[in-house]
Amino acid sequence: MDSASIPINKRVRLLFSILIVGHLLALVLPPLSVQTRGRIGQSPSVSTALEWFESYSQLLYIDRGYAFFAPDPGPSHLIQAAITNPQGKRIERMYPDRDQQWPRLLYHRHFMLSEFMEEIYQPPGPPEELRQANRQEAQYWSLSRSRYEHVRQSIVDHLKYEYPGDEVAIRRIEHLVPDLIDYQQEPVQLTDERLYRVLLDQPIQQEASK
Amino acid sequence: MNLRGNSLKNWLLGYVDAWDRFWFTPRLPHALSILRIIAGVMLLYSHLVLATDLTAFLGDTAWVNNETAMQLHDGTFGTSDFGRTYLWFISSPTLLWVHHGFAIAVTACFAMGVMTRITSPLAWFLQLMYLHRLTGTLFGFDQILTYVAMYLILAPSGSCYSVDAWIRTRFASVDRGRFWNWLFPEAKATVLSNVATRLLQLHLCVIYLFGGISKARGQTWWDGTAVWYSVSNYEYQSLDMTWLSDYPRLFSAMTHATLFWEIFYCALIWPRLTRPFILAIAVALHAGIALALGMITFGIMMIAANMIFISPESVQHTLISLRRSSQHAEG
Repeated sequence: MDSASIPINKRVRLLFSILIVGHLLALVLPPLSVQTRGRIGQSPSVSTALEWFESYSQLLYIDRGYAFFAPDPGPSHLIQAAITNPQGKRIERMYPDRDQQWPRLLYHRHFMLSEFMEEIYQPPGPPEELRQANRQEAQYWSLSRSRYEHVRQSIVDHLKYEYPGDEVAIRRIEHLVPDLIDYQQEPVQLTDERLYRVLLDQPIQQEASK
Repeated sequence: MNLRGNSLKNWLLGYVDAWDRFWFTPRLPHALSILRIIAGVMLLYSHLVLATDLTAFLGDTAWVNNETAMQLHDGTFGTSDFGRTYLWFISSPTLLWVHHGFAIAVTACFAMGVMTRITSPLAWFLQLMYLHRLTGTLFGFDQILTYVAMYLILAPSGSCYSVDAWIRTRFASVDRGRFWNWLFPEAKATVLSNVATRLLQLHLCVIYLFGGISKARGQTWWDGTAVWYSVSNYEYQSLDMTWLSDYPRLFSAMTHATLFWEIFYCALIWPRLTRPFILAIAVALHAGIALALGMITFGIMMIAANMIFISPESVQHTLISLRRSSQHAEG
């Protein structure tokens, strides 16, 4: 078909074309801004262009980075909960848990929640040096920490609602993937306890001095 | 000068013509109608699964409660965005259940093609509201499902393989006016079906291109070990594929193929010569993710979305052939 036989007139085509180009820019710019982030933050040109389309992208949930299993597939992050009743009896729950959450989609929602806890984690702080050197960065640190604490508290509150009257404590667990060469030499179960490590919630200086 | 001016004008007009043909050539709705059924069923499944533990994800006692969910978007923690939803303000479990029942009913109608002109945008809108509420519990499945539902709004996806089509045929003898024809559209080629198809096709190209680029920043996608590390992640695993460690040539070939396929998808999906190979790899890759990495819903939706590159005529002929062969078998 040639363009002369297209059943809509030129003005409508022009209007549609403008809307299409706008939508395509709103599609491309968010992942581009993720990829062009560096030492100076987002690429200035990309972030300037994105400003025009950001609200639209966020509204339609097309502001994604599409970085599936990228840059490298890595360990999983879990939430371990210790629930103690008034008599002192304690039970432990791990989230996600294939035996507890079914069907798989429900399990995956719990898995994404535990990964989200890790993604937004910010250690206590900011360090005094940062507070003095860069107030803006320090403020950003405080806000990020506050975000983590609110989500963490919300998860604790949910578990307290599920287990009324009980005490609830949670911590983050990292489940490592075995190193390939080690695995080839000596295969281990993927649930081997050596592959789990507790992620402590402590200021960065203490972590560095350990 | 005049000659040069004319050739430049012709060259530019050639591009305008190609743009117009790409976007505005009318297209049959059959492929989109099949996609509506798949997306509708998956959307319905997603809502039904959410219903098994509704108040753990919505309301004031959810994992991420209403207040925190709102704060993640409203600037309390420094960043404010437009991912807004009225679900932040619904605390009553009864009201949440009524709302969820409504969402399930709308989505079921969308899947079956009942009043699709109305249920299609409504199903997408409700899904979008859920997404903005469920921050922190979402993954690729939610993304692709919402995008497919969004583009289907543009097209008359209920014009075939639907209850709407049955109603239209049933009352075909009477002309009931423009509104009736809009509500129960004829299964004919339209510009909007083409625009919806093109937008989804390009969106897939963007997803794979940036998926590939972000992988290319890693090390394991280059040294060939990424597939092994992916299948050895216990939380994702649904099929034990750790035996791959004994076959380095196999898992490294799978890794390299995935990386290059994702990066070059946006170019090689368009020529007719390479399209079948690219689609075959898409099916193999997403079926692998579905079976081995526990993301059946995501795998199904990605395969379904890729089918947007199959022409509606092919879809139509395949379905007619299938119907004939089943009639022969019965006869």
